Amino acid sequence: MSPKLVLLLFVRRWHARIGLAAVVFFLFLAATGVVLNHGTGLGLDKRYVHAAWLARWYGIAPESPRHAFRAGRHDLIAANGRWLLDGRISGEKFPQPVGLVELPDMVVVASSASLYIYGNDGALIDRLERSALPGVPVRAIGSGGKQLVLRTGAGTFESRDALSWRPAPRDAIAWSAPADLPAAERERYAQLLEPGISVQQLLLDLHSGRFAGRYGPLVVDLLAAFLATLSLSGAWLFLKRRHRRERH
Amino acid sequence: MNRASLRSLAVLILSLAATAARGEVYQEPGAFVAEVFGAAPAPKVLWLTRDRQAQAAAILGHPPAQLRQRYWSEGRKSVWILEETGKEELITAGFVVVSGHIDHVRVLVYRESRGQEVRQSSFLKQFKDAKLSAGDRLDRNIDGIVGATLSVGAMERMARLALLFDRLSRESAQG
Repeated sequence: MSPKLVLLLFVRRWHARIGLAAVVFFLFLAATGVVLNHGTGLGLDKRYVHAAWLARWYGIAPESPRHAFRAGRHDLIAANGRWLLDGRISGEKFPQPVGLVELPDMVVVASSASLYIYGNDGALIDRLERSALPGVPVRAIGSGGKQLVLRTGAGTFESRDALSWRPAPRDAIAWSAPADLPAAERERYAQLLEPGISVQQLLLDLHSGRFAGRYGPLVVDLLAAFLATLSLSGAWLFLKRRHRRERH
Repeated sequence: MNRASLRSLAVLILSLAATAARGEVYQEPGAFVAEVFGAAPAPKVLWLTRDRQAQAAAILGHPPAQLRQRYWSEGRKSVWILEETGKEELITAGFVVVSGHIDHVRVLVYRESRGQEVRQSSFLKQFKDAKLSAGDRLDRNIDGIVGATLSVGAMERMARLALLFDRLSRESAQG
């Protein structure tokens, strides 16, 4: 057998072997790549996977809710950047609340640098950031005489509509305070408020191999080398066959 | 599985998320309003009724995030501080509308990791004197920026929304 034929058989055999061995990985990389390319359009950055095992895998220690804020018929429990307001789970990346107040036609949640105003039906009416607040940080939220009251780093202020603020009297204010949760409720709420990883982040880490830790990207590098080898060997086999046909 | 490396990855993700949430603040919204009016007037409110929500959703491609839109106005001039997602994070921009035309625009807070070019005056000056035409579209094309397509789209949607809200606020003031 001529050396050229030996080389041809060797390349053909290994082209097939590498292709077969890596087919699942290549399909996976192609699929995740296509999905990531359209991730924003598909809303993957706004979808989250909530699972304790995934959080542990990412080294995120789930935060257990310790207390609830209650006002009238409303209650709020927060953990892991998520709120459970009147049994409805908020989105992600919400700030740590400092209190909850019920007014005649709205429910107001304060964090240290923002106010979230909800209607009685749970719809978000308005979100006020630091520049719309009379002072920051917000240290406490309360109500008095149907007025919303904020105790801030710049003083205590009241407002009827959370639009215009004026200095508030310091007495007769019912401040929102956290109430401890019983252990059984803590466990139940911890499950409801598990931390999440965005689908886009998860896919990106799977695609790049980072999901598998330190050596994951090296495995993906190896697959890239395989793909390059397949391209070169495939091109060589194609040209070789064409060259042979032309000679005959 | 190497725990330390995944923990580092998680810390990196969380710190990037925290940075993104804080964003690059070019000007506080309150300072922008004060700059436009001298001393900021009291804020007014445009309530987004069902009809108005539908009109806003037609521009944004999704329902508006909240039911009450604050704005500031004096005479025929109004200021709208709006937020819209570019690729993944919110962009906060201030729009000054005079008699139904955009007077000027400024990017106030930018939270995306790329696409900051939308804050440059060479891009923003395209909105000068823009008004709404049929179908609540701008009366001109806004040239895009390579690598900032989604942020450009968000700025254009917010410009249309500011003009729509300005029109609705004037209509409701006229009763």
